[in-house]
Amino acid sequence: MSKVMVWVHGDSLRPGSAALAKHPEARRVFVFDDRVIEGYRLSLKRIVFIYESLLEIEGIEIRRGDVAAELAEAARESGVTRIVTTESVAPGFARISERLRRDYRLELEVLTEEPFAGIGKAESERMDLKRFSRFWQPIKSRALNLNRSLW
Amino acid sequence: MKLKAEFRDRDEMIIYLREVFAEAAARSPEVAETRGGRCAAEAALERIRPERYASSRNYLKGAVTRLAAYLRHGVLSLEEVRLEALRRGGPKAEKLVTELAWRDYWQRVYRRIGAGIWKDRESYKTGWRTSDYATELPTEVIEGQTGLACMDAFAAELRRTGYLHNHSRMWMAAWIVHFLRVRWQAGAAWFLEHLLDGDPASNNLSWQWVASTFSTKPYYFNRDNLEQFTDGLYCRQCRHYRSGCPFEGTYEDLQARLFPRMPEAR
Ligand SMILES: Cc1cc2nc3c(=O)[nH]c(=O)nc-3n(C[C@H](O)[C@H](O)[C@H](O)COP(=O)(O)OP(=O)(O)OC[C@H]3O[C@@H](n4cnc5c(N)ncnc54)[C@H](O)[C@@H]3O)c2cc1C
Repeated sequence: MSKVMVWVHGDSLRPGSAALAKHPEARRVFVFDDRVIEGYRLSLKRIVFIYESLLEIEGIEIRRGDVAAELAEAARESGVTRIVTTESVAPGFARISERLRRDYRLELEVLTEEPFAGIGKAESERMDLKRFSRFWQPIKSRALNLNRSLW
Repeated sequence: MKLKAEFRDRDEMIIYLREVFAEAAARSPEVAETRGGRCAAEAALERIRPERYASSRNYLKGAVTRLAAYLRHGVLSLEEVRLEALRRGGPKAEKLVTELAWRDYWQRVYRRIGAGIWKDRESYKTGWRTSDYATELPTEVIEGQTGLACMDAFAAELRRTGYLHNHSRMWMAAWIVHFLRVRWQAGAAWFLEHLLDGDPASNNLSWQWVASTFSTKPYYFNRDNLEQFTDGLYCRQCRHYRSGCPFEGTYEDLQARLFPRMPEAR
């Protein structure tokens, strides 16, 4: 049994996500967040879509409730102190991550996916995001030409 | 609380979810035809036609990809779709890759502003103040009972399928914000309940783009525009076609009607 647990969340439901690819043997847990479901008044069809996607992740364990508390409980059950996940930009993700570290004293490793057109976080922080055109002009040729060798 | 992760088939899963998520099912019991999961996502990726996309994407019947829900939930990664688009379309994939870049752009803005995504990024450029806009959506809009064939059909489609074509989203948003003068937040929250691709970044920032709180001018449309890109489908059956269509008129007419206080309106 692996010494880590993978936290699968709704922004990263690929069976080959960064975290799942790195830890193919690890226990993997998804938690439906009651706060999100009620906060956004999510409709059943969205839940069905997510559920159906989850079922294609082999060995997935699906839970519901307070995300950090549920993850901590699953970790305790497996005697694991390290959780690995794939990054999300949502503020809720940062909030839960913080609670896992602070309230539950779990180690959390956040992996990133291959960024769009190779534009990593450091570069993104320096970019002018005032309007789409300002974002797009400097990266356009990169985003379109990267694979010229394949044409 | 642990939930079940094994089912005989989709129907059994749906019956189970109706029970477990009873509040959501009570709010909106519909289940969309669009399938979740990596297999369905790969099949949809297999069907993309970047070249036809470029020439037809603004039409309701155009060759749009319907990848949004898979991208939104990370069933497909944006980078893998970009590479596949370029592999298939080469330079002709430019339009599709540009649209993918919009998603990426909104995500990067979201990373920066977080919960600020619910606030006006800038003031409205419509001549109206935020306080001039209503805070709630009229019930007839949500229920698709306004008598406007186009908008009522879009509302029903949103509820039933969890999907709307980009152009329908733009028309609906412009109608709600500019014709009904309701704050974009009310429309955005409604879309997020139903869209399978519902994403605070792409959704709220697109609403703000339409509203003009994240752009230099409001987006609005007239009937000719809607009629053209829908191939007249709704207008033909609309009882307001001959009289009472709020979208009828030239852009100048509409601008004078909708934004009489806009500095450049006269
Ligand atoms: C008012 C309004 C609300 C919207 N809400 C959402 C939302 O909640 N989630 C969402 O993913 N998109 C949203 N969009 C953007 C766009 O309408 C949808 O992404 C697109 O219609 C989805 O259909 P498709 O997959 O067939 O798109 P295609 O046209 O085939 O595009 C391919 C992919 O590119 C991305 N994309 C295309 N156009 C845009 C765009 N304008 N902005 C951002 N990404 C784009 C999407 O990921 C899409 O799947 C919204 C647009 C408007 C005007």
